[in-house]
Amino acid sequence: MTALVLDGVVKRFGDFTAVDDLSFSVPDGGMFGFLGSNGAGKTTSIRMMLDILRPDSGRIEILGRAPSRANAPEVGFLPEERGLYRLMTVTDTVVYFGRLKGMSGADAGRAAARLIERLGLGAWAGTALDKLSKGMSQKVQLATALVNGPRLLILDEPFSGLDPVNQGVLEEIVLEMVKGGATVIFSTHVMQHAERLSDRLLLLARGRKVFEGTQAEARALLPPRLSLTAMADPARLPGVLRAAAVGKPQAGWQQWDVTLAPGQDAGSLLQHCTADGFLLRGFELHRPSLHDVFLHLVGGA
Amino acid sequence: MSRILLVARRDFLQIIATRAFKITLLIVPLMLGLVIFGTTSLRRPPTVAYIVADAGGSIAAVIEHRVDLDYQRAVLRDLSAYADRWKLPPPGDSWSDDAAVERFIAQGAANGALKRMRPPAGATTFKPEAPAYIRVAVPKDVPVDEGAGAFGRAIAPYLANDIQTEQGKRPLAVAVYVPAHGPLRLWTNGRGSNGLIALIQQERSHQLRMTLLAANGVSSAAAQRIESLEAPVAVTAPPEGGGRNQLTVRSIVPLALVYLLLMGALITGGMMLQGVIEERSNRLLEAVLACVEPRELMTGKLIGLGAVGLTIIAVWGGCALLAAVSVNGVVADYLQPSLAALDQPWTIPLLIFYFFCGYLMLGMLYLTIGSLSNSMQDAQAYLMPVTMGVLLPVMLMVNDIIRNPSGWLPEVMSWIPIYTPFAMLVRLGSGVSAAEILGTGLLLLVFVTLEFVLLGRVFRASLLNTGQPPKLGAFLKLMLRRD
Repeated sequence: MTALVLDGVVKRFGDFTAVDDLSFSVPDGGMFGFLGSNGAGKTTSIRMMLDILRPDSGRIEILGRAPSRANAPEVGFLPEERGLYRLMTVTDTVVYFGRLKGMSGADAGRAAARLIERLGLGAWAGTALDKLSKGMSQKVQLATALVNGPRLLILDEPFSGLDPVNQGVLEEIVLEMVKGGATVIFSTHVMQHAERLSDRLLLLARGRKVFEGTQAEARALLPPRLSLTAMADPARLPGVLRAAAVGKPQAGWQQWDVTLAPGQDAGSLLQHCTADGFLLRGFELHRPSLHDVFLHLVGGA
Repeated sequence: MSRILLVARRDFLQIIATRAFKITLLIVPLMLGLVIFGTTSLRRPPTVAYIVADAGGSIAAVIEHRVDLDYQRAVLRDLSAYADRWKLPPPGDSWSDDAAVERFIAQGAANGALKRMRPPAGATTFKPEAPAYIRVAVPKDVPVDEGAGAFGRAIAPYLANDIQTEQGKRPLAVAVYVPAHGPLRLWTNGRGSNGLIALIQQERSHQLRMTLLAANGVSSAAAQRIESLEAPVAVTAPPEGGGRNQLTVRSIVPLALVYLLLMGALITGGMMLQGVIEERSNRLLEAVLACVEPRELMTGKLIGLGAVGLTIIAVWGGCALLAAVSVNGVVADYLQPSLAALDQPWTIPLLIFYFFCGYLMLGMLYLTIGSLSNSMQDAQAYLMPVTMGVLLPVMLMVNDIIRNPSGWLPEVMSWIPIYTPFAMLVRLGSGVSAAEILGTGLLLLVFVTLEFVLLGRVFRASLLNTGQPPKLGAFLKLMLRRD
């Protein structure tokens, strides 16, 4: 079963096309990274998944149904722009959102108490939110997204504004939910987060999909790069696209920055060097980062 | 509980927890309290004492009788108002006539009249006001037969202090020395009592005129007739119970309702508007909108707003009712007859209908302004024309109806939906035709429904907008856009 399907979705604001013919699907379970630079259309897409905005054309399915508030009991949402009712207490706020998502008062109360403790806010449960620090308020907001124990959790830029400790807490909670069978979709423009957390990812640029797949598939889009230290120029080796000398040779040994041709394997090159007697003193494979892939695909977008 | 009611409950609880709401709630009870305190303390000056040392023995009893006659006249006047209020038989004839007051006294004064009137069980107890003046005997250490000078010196310490009366210690306001011959002398404590002095002067003048007439050969009966002669003046007043009551009711109940509607809607609408702006500026609407439809949010907020308005009206109305049934004085004099206007079975439901339509209509305007504004500063740009557009014509109409209850302005405004609730609230007590009620009511319902649909579209479209508020053209487009 798929947790989310977008099929040919288009959303325009006047003359500006925010989301352009977007199609992708998110399988049930696991973490799905929704990547793109600022203004790529991530938040607009998320708002359409939640029926806050309606697409101009295309089809969206969330947990097998059309987007609507009827899905709220099974969905958790942490928006990018965060804010809460300043005069409400921590507990009242979490319970309120639980009840808006269809929970009974008693269930929402129990779940809220559990989450508040889990997030280290127990001592402030009865405190009004305007008396809490920004970090604490963000934890409360996270609790409002999790209070209903959602099957699908949508996090829009969840790490923005969180200090490293709280980022760790958030990661821990999210990973626990995935272990419990939930699907987590999170948008980010920080590639390190996506790299660390997502199983599959989607890259958006100017409202259009530029990539969808696993991290390995994403990295495979870039030619492998090697650092070699050799006596001779490796450019003549089979499968090498480019070789650029780095620095000056030392005692005849030169360091080279080598780019393999697409589809070429670093292991085959090493095997060839060994068999052919190509002298090597250093052989280091650089795996392309998501950041590199992102820059490669999106460029200046 | 549905999502609409959850939103309504949260908004209601948030507003009633604010200091502004608590202050608003206290305004009317405080004002009523001040009016009650002011009127009771102004209307009930403390009883003061007076002394008449009558060496001639001819005037003391006359002054005392006149003081009592004037006091009983005031009691008869109050008792007539009491009878009017509780629909009882009148306690006597016209209180302006001395003979009628004499008859009232002869028939047992207030107690005798109340026995005849038999007030119903629910009526308040009539308590006559205390007399303004009470006569006390000349103290033993004050000589009355050693001349005015000796009397004046001896009475001076008593004028500076209180004197023992049958009602306890009271200030001695006036001391009169009446010699057997010669001018009457009068000492006061310098604190007013002009009424008593004028009364004494009037009685003394009367006595002198009667003596002069007798000396000129006028018979006692003829002299009495001449003295009691008054120029005839015919005064026409609205008939008891009918016209007079209607006038009071038409002026007080509807106008009070219009003011309540205006104040309630403007105050609570302002609070709600601030709430929506806070939700927008705090960026918390997105999380709420993931769980609640914009229309549910708007409806919930309107219900919350209505509950806040009801609470204010219940407290204000409750205080007014309490003041009407438990306190005598100016407030009760106006409020008690006003309650009688609610005797028609359809009046109360209609009052509620118009009141709530007006409340919803204004509430929706405020909510929409909140959804369009990023700050209170933004909101002011919309608020000013909207508030003035509602307030000024309504104030004009209220002024008009006070000066001319059957004027054309309220009738015309009844058919302009935005003013219908105000105009109909003002006119309901004065006999509006069923056709007009039905017509204006239907028009108002259609208008409120359309407002809900059209402004609902603006509300939905504007909630998550962060740019500048739309101009008029864009606003109209938003109203007409279906999604």
